[in-house]
Amino acid sequence: MAESILQVSGLVKHYPLTQGILFKKQVGAVKAVDGVDFELARGETLGIVGESGCGKSTVAKMLVNLEKPTEGEIRYRGEDIAKLSGKALRSVRRNIQMVFQDPYTSLNPRMTVGDIIGEPYEIHPEVAPKGDRRTKVQELLDVVGLNPEYINRYPHQFSGGQRQRIGIARGLALRPEIIVADEPVSALDVSVQAQVINLMDRLQSEFELSYVFIAHDLSIVRHISDRVGVMYLGRIVETGKDAEIYDHPTHPYTQALLSAVPVPDPVAREHRERIILAGDVPSPTNIPSGCRFRTRCWKAQERCALEVPLLAVPAGFRYVGGPAAHDSACHFAEEKAVVGNGNGPG
Amino acid sequence: MLLEVRDLHVEFRTRDGVAKAVNGVDYGVDAGETLAVLGESGSGKSVTAQAIMGILDIPPGRITGGEVLFQGRDLLKLKEEERRKVRGAEMAMIFQDALSSLNPVLPVGDQLGEMFVVHRGMSRKDARAKAVELMERVRIPAAKERVKDYPHQFSGGMRQRIMIAMALALEPALIIADEPTTALDVTVQAQVMDLLAELQREYNMGLILITHDLGVVADVADRIAVMYAGRIVESAPVHDIYKVPAHPYTKGLLESIPRLDQKGEELYAIKGLPPNLMHIPPGCAFHPRCPMAQDVCRTDEPPLYEVNGEEPARRSACHFWRECMNG
Repeated sequence: MAESILQVSGLVKHYPLTQGILFKKQVGAVKAVDGVDFELARGETLGIVGESGCGKSTVAKMLVNLEKPTEGEIRYRGEDIAKLSGKALRSVRRNIQMVFQDPYTSLNPRMTVGDIIGEPYEIHPEVAPKGDRRTKVQELLDVVGLNPEYINRYPHQFSGGQRQRIGIARGLALRPEIIVADEPVSALDVSVQAQVINLMDRLQSEFELSYVFIAHDLSIVRHISDRVGVMYLGRIVETGKDAEIYDHPTHPYTQALLSAVPVPDPVAREHRERIILAGDVPSPTNIPSGCRFRTRCWKAQERCALEVPLLAVPAGFRYVGGPAAHDSACHFAEEKAVVGNGNGPG
Repeated sequence: MLLEVRDLHVEFRTRDGVAKAVNGVDYGVDAGETLAVLGESGSGKSVTAQAIMGILDIPPGRITGGEVLFQGRDLLKLKEEERRKVRGAEMAMIFQDALSSLNPVLPVGDQLGEMFVVHRGMSRKDARAKAVELMERVRIPAAKERVKDYPHQFSGGMRQRIMIAMALALEPALIIADEPTTALDVTVQAQVMDLLAELQREYNMGLILITHDLGVVADVADRIAVMYAGRIVESAPVHDIYKVPAHPYTKGLLESIPRLDQKGEELYAIKGLPPNLMHIPPGCAFHPRCPMAQDVCRTDEPPLYEVNGEEPARRSACHFWRECMNG
């Protein structure tokens, strides 16, 4: 594995719930992120998938220091970014940039494209001296496939896909090492999604970027990721290389999630086993004891309510090896191929 | 045919000009059949549905031609009063965003019951009992207690079930579902689509499913109509279209989505952007983005060619459908 540049350990974010006006007392907490660990290597893409409310966007915000973690560490080049401030923080932020989900609200409608993409240089003037900025911005526009002459236009003059390119150009302006992309294509039309995904792929090899790619669309995550982490209610429940997760999932939640994805192929559909989960995701203010997935799991037994399963290679696979031997937080982990590409068993 | 749309044209007059949203759409759906209308934003798929339901905003919208035959009657010729009797009772619609389609200050039971009070003249008490029955039908747990709850007290999936319950209330012959699961998470999406399909079978309803998601379509549809710039560019039974698309746009769409079961190389991307509806390109509207375009495509608008002679018919609005199907 290439050199690891970001290490996240024991990351927790709780938002307190208070009662009372004058004397606020804490009555509980929204446990948005509740113990997340992962590493990111140089040039690698880590995909994080999960349903709404699983905490994936909160993780993204903490990675770029828009939220302070309640507990845990985010180490970038050996330093915990949550504890930095002032100059040191600024230089770390330069290297970890973000691309947002909604290209309609994440660009200031009153600023020209040139000002939007050039704004990072105001904060980090050492990257580009004042006289250079316009040329730099034009270069960036060219890199993301927009006409450099559009520099004086406003966001409303662009389509959704073009706006997302502007957002990506802004993310690239400071030549970061890591880009955290939170649902970067989910607001786009199908035919435009592919353009933006291809652009991100190309930029990754061109600038040696590492991506943390957060999305709810499992197909897109598979396409772009080297490794994948599946989140449920604030925790990663299964993680591994893309083929390990998609072709050899061992956690029941991952299996259900994969089986629920509609596959654009009516023939494959008929050969596929559907697992339909009962009920909804529990509230993050009141997380079930033991395994947090047990309230919707068809395998749940008494042990699941008592013992929190650890994210590790399940005992049954530890000595066997093979693609099923990857981290999975389930007491009863079992391999089950649900996507059905003919490679896996079953 | 339960519903037949013939040569429907809809335009919107705006300050900047006339946007031609629907330009001659033909489609039909039988009882018990599911027709998926597939298209990207601005393709006219939702506007067509609104015209069928009679909920188009007029003005700025205007139906400039065509017929909507429902059980033999042309709905566009009916008076608003008669239309209202059809709407809800004989055809109903499910919207994408359940939270903004439900009234936030009324308990869901009242909103469900209203259907029976207005259309069937039931008493409030009977209507409430009917509402509970409907909520049980769409599998809302503890329906009796929850009938007095407000929309915000339900989860997204449950709100969408309530929308389904509301559409089903009067047992209509046709349901139009406009992106019913787009706002939901995948696991919940599967629950809701399953429920919808099951109820459709039970009542033998016609279902028009409007969506942009090629995956959802493959799972439930019998037939597919693909729309682009206000026209149907291809219509075919679901198996055929996925096996061999007969229009370059459909082909491009299918190739541009990443697959869950394969790790692909670079994705195929359709170049360019969907057209501005105020300036739809002459000839075939897709020609500026089409890899197969030739001179004739820039000048002659392709008719919906019949692709196979047999039933069910397959149609494609491409001059070069043969070449498209062969490679």
